[in-house]
Amino acid sequence: MVSTGARQGAGAPRAVEPARTAIHGGPTGGSARESVTGGIVAISGAAAAVDLTVDLAPTRGGLVLANPILVASGTFGYGIEYGDVVEVGRLGAICCKGTTLRPRIGNPTPRVSETPGGMLNSIGLQNPGVDAVVERYAPLWATWRTPVIVNIAAESVADYAEIARRLDGVPGVAGIELNISCPNVGRGGLQFAIDESAAGAVTAAVRRATDLPLLVKLSPNVADVRPIARAIAAAGADALTAINTLSGIAVSADRRRPLLGNVFGGLSGPAVKPVALRVVYEVRQVVDIPIVAIGGVTELADVLDFLAVGAVAVQVGTAIFADPALPVRLVGQLAEAAARAGHASYRPFIGTALPAKPGVPSAKGVEYRP
Amino acid sequence: MSMRLVAAELVESREILPGQWLQSYHAPTMAAGARAGQFVHVRTGDWSGLVLRRPFSFNTVDAATGTMTIHFRTIGRGTEWFTRLRPGDSIDMLGPLGRPFEVDPRSRHLLLVAGGLGMAGVRMLADEAIRDGRQVVVLFGASGVREVYPSSLLPDEVEYVVATDDGSLGHHGFVTELVADYEAWADQAFACGPAPMLRALAGLAVGRRARLGVAKLGRKRGGGRPLAIGSPQARRKAFLQVSMEQNMGCAVGACLGCVVMGVGGTPQRVCREGPVFASDEIAWEAGW
Ligand SMILES: Cc1cc2nc3c(=O)[nH]c(=O)nc-3n(C[C@H](O)[C@H](O)[C@H](O)COP(=O)(O)OP(=O)(O)OC[C@H]3O[C@@H](n4cnc5c(N)ncnc54)[C@H](O)[C@@H]3O)c2cc1C
Ligand SMILES: Cc1cc2nc3c(=O)[nH]c(=O)nc-3n(C[C@H](O)[C@H](O)[C@H](O)COP(=O)(O)O)c2cc1C
Ligand code: FES
Repeated sequence: MVSTGARQGAGAPRAVEPARTAIHGGPTGGSARESVTGGIVAISGAAAAVDLTVDLAPTRGGLVLANPILVASGTFGYGIEYGDVVEVGRLGAICCKGTTLRPRIGNPTPRVSETPGGMLNSIGLQNPGVDAVVERYAPLWATWRTPVIVNIAAESVADYAEIARRLDGVPGVAGIELNISCPNVGRGGLQFAIDESAAGAVTAAVRRATDLPLLVKLSPNVADVRPIARAIAAAGADALTAINTLSGIAVSADRRRPLLGNVFGGLSGPAVKPVALRVVYEVRQVVDIPIVAIGGVTELADVLDFLAVGAVAVQVGTAIFADPALPVRLVGQLAEAAARAGHASYRPFIGTALPAKPGVPSAKGVEYRP
Repeated sequence: MSMRLVAAELVESREILPGQWLQSYHAPTMAAGARAGQFVHVRTGDWSGLVLRRPFSFNTVDAATGTMTIHFRTIGRGTEWFTRLRPGDSIDMLGPLGRPFEVDPRSRHLLLVAGGLGMAGVRMLADEAIRDGRQVVVLFGASGVREVYPSSLLPDEVEYVVATDDGSLGHHGFVTELVADYEAWADQAFACGPAPMLRALAGLAVGRRARLGVAKLGRKRGGGRPLAIGSPQARRKAFLQVSMEQNMGCAVGACLGCVVMGVGGTPQRVCREGPVFASDEIAWEAGW
């Protein structure tokens, strides 16, 4: 079993000079002025003093991130693909591509398609399997300051538990994000996310298999996400992430067939943000564990919106494709926003748009289901 | 050179054929590092509309002036957006990306085969080859004379042979039908164009050894251990290299959106292991 606390002392990723990562620890004095690849982060003295740290597993071993800006699974590979274009040492955490027990070749192409304000993807969980991930990438991650959370997917409870077991104690693996909601795999995939007892059962099984911090990723493709969130929290998840993609299709230009090789794809990008906001808003009121929001973050205002409805951190996904420097830029912008508001931490932004009494559904809005 | 994010300034933009544009950008670091076969991923529009970047081949680069050109056809909203840019406008490019064409040092005669917009993908290789003292034949195929790439835009040293589907210029038929005349002359061939054209060429390349009785290059090389898919060596030793296309998300190898199936049964990323592959690295019948 790995002590997650030990990660905090780890060195910086090789690509990043130590001086640049100094911002991580919060107040740092000297290195207040920063400049970022393709970005415009000039962190003022006051902003550099803002506490951006967040603990995603506060009730267990702890998973303390230097800041609440993460990159979403499937959009940032294994943390190395963007090379020097992104300073990974400045990210709060990286969620790697969905990992399965055995290698998967994924779905036929086309696998991605642009949509108004978003995109559809049907990658189908192409990945080299958990053993290859442990062998090829974890040793590198172990040298990074930025924690890497391994996103895992399976078709059976036994497989989920087995993947978790193989990641347990591996240096470089800071946590697990259960993808119980991938819409792009034929069998099973989504089933765990749409049924509260299945979601609880798979969470509990993984909980038994590992002491690693455990995040469970919710699907928006359900009638009511709240009972599912409750079951997952009760089964021992440390945090929830919300949301995965919405199921959709696109039609080919000649209108003779569906465009994607797999017919169905997952919708992401700015277009899904209102759905993600709604899910976070609802879930925040029925669970106490931290919520990491994902869905359509493209600018600081989106981060602030998600914090307002109760998220403690956000993941940036699709927007990275157009603007690889965005996640790192958001770190600086969030600190500046807090400093401007006169806060010593970004935490006062959290939950400001929630109903007055969390836990008691208000008569207005909360129960509205179109 | 590793990839960078740069601001590129539009210098010139003109329609060279109906719906086909040639744009020149000032981007010195990009121009300095680019090789034929590589591409840039260009940011378009804003979040309300165009969410993904668009990939374009380096059409030509001029390191001396720090400029590069792209040649594209307007087929959708992204490419139309580019045509509305004016000189002085600055756009955001990520590159150079992908692996370039690899010419064997011993190759004297290069056959370049382009179908339509595929010219954009092989055009720069002609410049590189001529600079290195090689002879170049460009075989070009289009539907009709209105789509034929102007010879004035090619270096004088190139032998330029055209085929049109409707016979309105040059050979009446497919560009692939011209290959037979050059397959013995050519030491290596390089192609970019529609998938059916590339598949047909790959088929011709397979039969070439048998038809010619010898494999001109590569007799002593690569024997035994197969070379890794995507490796420069694998491409350098191949008779035919092809530049592939797929819809792209990230263009850096992170999203796995852009794959083609490799002969080993492992999907290969067009943006990372490609876009240039040795034709015998691709599982053409896999339908990916
Ligand atoms: C490595 C590479 C190099 C390329 N080089 C050139 C070039 O030099 N000149 C040129 O004219 N075209 C080139 N293309 C194709 C070009 O990227 C597409 O024509 C362009 O993206 C279409 O954008 P659109 O918005 O006009 O079309 P739309 O159809 O509206 O595009 C919608 C989405 O589909 C994607 N898409 C559509 N067709 C293609 C395609 N053929 N390849 C990749 N993505 C596609 C777009 O990027 C976008 O995300 C290249 C493609 C690749 C992969
Ligand atoms: C190309 C692509 C691949 C993805 N792969 C995964 C995956 O393997 N596992 C997962 O849990 N989510 C995956 N996702 C979903 C994202 O992590 C995220 O939940 C979703 O894209 C919404 O966020 P966004 O709008 O910021 O992109 C993928 C998304 C995209 C666009
Ligand atoms: S486009 Fe993302 S892996 Fe190639």
